[in-house]
Amino acid sequence: MERLSIEFMPAEGALVRMLGLVERRGYVIRKVAADEHADGGSLIIDVEPRDPGRRVQVVAGQLGRLIEVTSVSLEPRRAGSPT
Amino acid sequence: MSATAAQIAPAPDAKAASGARLVVEALEREGVKHIFGYPGGAIMPVYDALTGSSLKHILVRHEQAAALAADAYGRVTGRPGVCLATSGPGATNLVTGIANAFLDSVPMVAITGQVGMPLLGTDAFQEVDIFGITLPIVKHSFLIRRTQDIPRIFAEAFRIATTGRPGPVLIDLPKDIGTAVVVPDEIELADEPVQPLDEAAIAVANALIGEASAPVLYFGGGVAIARAESALRAFAERTGIPSVATLKGLGGIPTDAPNFLGMLGMHGARAANIAIDNCDLLICVGARFDDRATGKLDSFAPRAKVIHLDGDPAEIGKLRVPEVGLAGDLTTILDRLTATPPIAGWASRCRAQKAMWAPRYDAPGQGVYAPALLKQLSEAAGDGAIFTCDVGQHQMWVAQHCRFSRPQAHLTSGGLGTMGFGVPAGIGAILAEPEATVITISGDGSFMMNVQELATIRRYRLPLKIVLIDNSQLGMVRQWQELFFEENFSEIDLSDNPDFSEVAHSFGIEAFTIDHRSEVPDAIRRLLGTSGPILCHVRIDPRENVWPLVPPNSSNVQMMEKGW
Repeated sequence: MERLSIEFMPAEGALVRMLGLVERRGYVIRKVAADEHADGGSLIIDVEPRDPGRRVQVVAGQLGRLIEVTSVSLEPRRAGSPT
Repeated sequence: MSATAAQIAPAPDAKAASGARLVVEALEREGVKHIFGYPGGAIMPVYDALTGSSLKHILVRHEQAAALAADAYGRVTGRPGVCLATSGPGATNLVTGIANAFLDSVPMVAITGQVGMPLLGTDAFQEVDIFGITLPIVKHSFLIRRTQDIPRIFAEAFRIATTGRPGPVLIDLPKDIGTAVVVPDEIELADEPVQPLDEAAIAVANALIGEASAPVLYFGGGVAIARAESALRAFAERTGIPSVATLKGLGGIPTDAPNFLGMLGMHGARAANIAIDNCDLLICVGARFDDRATGKLDSFAPRAKVIHLDGDPAEIGKLRVPEVGLAGDLTTILDRLTATPPIAGWASRCRAQKAMWAPRYDAPGQGVYAPALLKQLSEAAGDGAIFTCDVGQHQMWVAQHCRFSRPQAHLTSGGLGTMGFGVPAGIGAILAEPEATVITISGDGSFMMNVQELATIRRYRLPLKIVLIDNSQLGMVRQWQELFFEENFSEIDLSDNPDFSEVAHSFGIEAFTIDHRSEVPDAIRRLLGTSGPILCHVRIDPRENVWPLVPPNSSNVQMMEKGW
């Protein structure tokens, strides 16, 4: 399990765009927490790769090129660990 | 960064105007000359505002062609091609073209009409969530909910489409937003941050280059996107490093440059694949380790260290983790790679392989041998020509046998592999570069996917030269069924094709048919000597295959060759 912490500028479709990207790039989303204000938002996603060949740094990089995203950081998680 | 059109306009004393008028003014401000589109209900306010503007609208006969023509326009000019469609089916018909631009990183702005705001989400007539449908295939997208935002959103869309790694941007415009009359908000766009070069990585890269004994330069479509051909050529010349290109990289270094070994990969040149297999340093410039280029990834350049240069940081390490990754402006980075390796013997061996495995054109029989025809046509057309391709066997023959001295001379659907790309792309290329000789190479399967665009060619008297290579089959599928599905030929027969010359004639386009190789020289002369649009229908042997070929899931050096 890995945790992606994303800071973003709120915009129509931003959450769907980010979550969709993570799923399409080969990850199962296990947990989501989002917080959005007028001047910024944060999204925390716990993900698991669908196959062992996936490197979470790659999907972090792809999130980072979305227009609304201002930063992405990674935190390793163990399956079942408390949030 | 210099001021963009958006930063200097509109004037603070902007007057009230309808949303549709603001759309047209925004496009004019961005320097748009041509728009490819098709009208319909929800986009009618914009069509109403188009009359009397400086914008030249090209009425296609299917919205997919609008998007594909805009794609080609963007590839040639480096500026976003613009396509316009109504809501619902008009918008969904754009989807393939938008995806095509996304996969090949082409700047595009796609504008769709939408039902009025009160009807959004009610399953109204011709309502579809095109914003949601296209989320995975756009660089970015907007649904305009305030008419005042139109100038800003268009300015952002054009900037997003062109900066960094280019791509398509969708703007969905509800009908009532287009009819409302407002005073627009002023535009304020922040400057794009410029990332500093990683000096430590530059130093490591130079050290690796300096000590390499068998380096290869592997470049792709990112070179053309960054307009970095000059820097790439200068780097290749000062280092003497042998080079190979992806399908989309062709033209980055001229085909006939001595150290250019050809296209690599599934249908690549054997010399290119052998060089990759033997290299000890792979310098990847604007390429992405695509499976069609690498074959089995873990056997691709198996002994090589990798330096990866790309305009998009997310590409570095995506499929192969490099020893050195350098993200940023390719010209700036290439100019800083100044080490020169002592590789005269290696380069000489690569050139010898290139000569040894050069393509043969002495095919048996008297029928038209498509690779020979394409080679002769390319030589006769010269450096000023632009080739647009469809997808299939002919696409690979163009890549293998035509010569390109600039990337914009070879417009091909590399990532998505869109059958039907060729003719609309030819339309876009002619309008983008009217002085060029534009030649579309198509196949009988692909041609029928956008055959209606012959009407567009006729309407605007676009001097497109179409070479339709007809094997009365879906040739590439048939080739794979022959080689990898035990000759179980399934649904590849197109022997009931129409008479393509008659089809062209019915659209008012000059056309002729050849089926013998002795007719090729006259056919080329007629094609290139005709001032208007013309179609040359070429019947070929349906059993002809594309060689060489790397079987799926194999190393690139396990190439199958033709039998003669």
